[in-house]
Amino acid sequence: MSIKDTAQSIIKSINDGDTLTTVSLGAQNFHSDSVKIASVLLSKKLGGIYVTTSRPSSHIVNELEEAKADLSDLYFVDLVSMTVGGTTGDPRTLYVESPTMLESILLNISLLERRLKSKRRFVMFDSVNGLSIYSEPKVLREFINVLGNSMRIREIYSMLLTVKEQTDEDLGSALKLLSDKVIGD
Amino acid sequence: MAKKDVTKPISLDPRGGRPRDKCETHIEGIDRILNGGVPIGNIVLLAGTVGSGKTTLAMEFLINGAKAGETCCYISVTEPSSKMLSNLQTYGFFDESLVKEGKLNIFDLTVINDRLGVERLDGTYTSKDMEALLGAFEDIVDELGVTRLVIDSITAVCYQLPDRGSIRNFIFRLSQFLSTFGCTTLLISETVVDSNTQTYSIFGVEEAVADGVVLMGNIIRQGDLLRSLQVVKMRGTKHSRARHLIELTPVGLAVVPLLKWGQDGGQAFT
Repeated sequence: MSIKDTAQSIIKSINDGDTLTTVSLGAQNFHSDSVKIASVLLSKKLGGIYVTTSRPSSHIVNELEEAKADLSDLYFVDLVSMTVGGTTGDPRTLYVESPTMLESILLNISLLERRLKSKRRFVMFDSVNGLSIYSEPKVLREFINVLGNSMRIREIYSMLLTVKEQTDEDLGSALKLLSDKVIGD
Repeated sequence: MAKKDVTKPISLDPRGGRPRDKCETHIEGIDRILNGGVPIGNIVLLAGTVGSGKTTLAMEFLINGAKAGETCCYISVTEPSSKMLSNLQTYGFFDESLVKEGKLNIFDLTVINDRLGVERLDGTYTSKDMEALLGAFEDIVDELGVTRLVIDSITAVCYQLPDRGSIRNFIFRLSQFLSTFGCTTLLISETVVDSNTQTYSIFGVEEAVADGVVLMGNIIRQGDLLRSLQVVKMRGTKHSRARHLIELTPVGLAVVPLLKWGQDGGQAFT
C-alpha cells in the first residue's frame, strides 16, 4: 500500500466515524511516511497531538516545517528528548522524563487536548514499537488497551502507528482486536 | 404470578442512602477517585514517604479552595512559613493575591507556641499545653471562618506528645471541633517503609482516629521513581481503592490509574 493510499484510507476512516485505528507502516520509510500522514491531516484542518516514542519531537517539527505543514494546532508528547538529553524548551511540547512512565502519556494527552482549537482532532502515536524497547510485552499490551479505550472515551480520532517488520503476531492481534480498522496491513 | 414493581430504579451505589456534601479538591482526577470530593468536615490523614508529594497536594487543595472563595489555612510545623511561601512561588497554580486577600493563611506552629508560652526545652507538651494548642487551633478556625485546614505535619506535633493515649486524645478532640465547624482537614503524616510495607503513621494511632487515609508513596519502575496515591479509607463516601500515579503538571497535580502489570517485579514501594 502506498503512503498516498494509506493517507486516503485514514481520511476515509475518519469520515466513516472510526475512533481508533492501527496504521502499519514499513520500516524502510517509516519516519517520512509518518510525517506525511500528519501533514495530510493538518492540511485537512484537523488539530492534533503527536506522541513520539522513537525520535525527538524537534526532528518531527523540522520535517513538518520542511513539508510546509500548518503547525498552529499541533502539539507533542515527547518521550525521547529528556532521555537522550535533547532540547526540551518547545512550548507546544510536553516532555515525559522516561519512556517507562507510560501513565504520563495519558496524562499529557489529556492536558494537551484542552489546548486543541480545531473541532476535528487526532492523536498520532508514533510508535507502539518504540515503547517495546523499554517495557515488557505484558505491560505494553496493558498500556495499549488503556490508551485505546481512553482515546475512545475522548472521541478523538487516534492512530496507533506500528512498524510492520517489528510487530509480532501477539501484538498485532491485540491491536487488531482493539482497533476499528487496521490500515496498511 | 404477581408482577414485580419495575418503576423504581435500583441504585447503582452499593451504599445506597443519601450522599454527604463534598469538599471538592479540584485536583485533576482526585474528585473522581473520591466520588465528588472529601466529605465536608472530614479529617484526613495524608500519609506518605519523603518526596511523595504530600505538601504539594495539600497546598493545591488549599489554593483551589481559596480560589473558590473559601478561607483556607496551613499550619507549618516543620519549616518556616517564609520558606513555604517562597516554595509556593514555583507552582503555576499559586496566586499571591490569595495570601494578601486573607483567603490563604499560613501560620508557623513555633510562633503559635511562643505566643501560648508552651515551647518546652525538652520538646514535650504537658496536658495544659495540649489544651492551649487545641484552643489556639479552634480560635483560628472559628475567627477566620476556615473551611479547609492543613497541619504539616501531624507527625511533628505527635512527637511532642508524651504517649500514644495523648496522641489519640489530641487528634480525637481536634477532629471533633473541626467537624463541628465543617472544616475539612488534611493532617500530613510522615511515614517510612519497613520491609517493603508502608505504614500510615509513625505512632500507629493517627489512622484509627482519622475519617480518611490517603497513602502516597514512591514506586520504583526500572530504576525510575514514580509518585503514587491510594485512598485507603474515607468515611462518608464510596471511593476507589486502586493505586494511581500522581504527577505535577503545568496546571497542578493530576492523577491517572497506575498500570496493573507495572506494579510488581521491577516495581517496588519505597
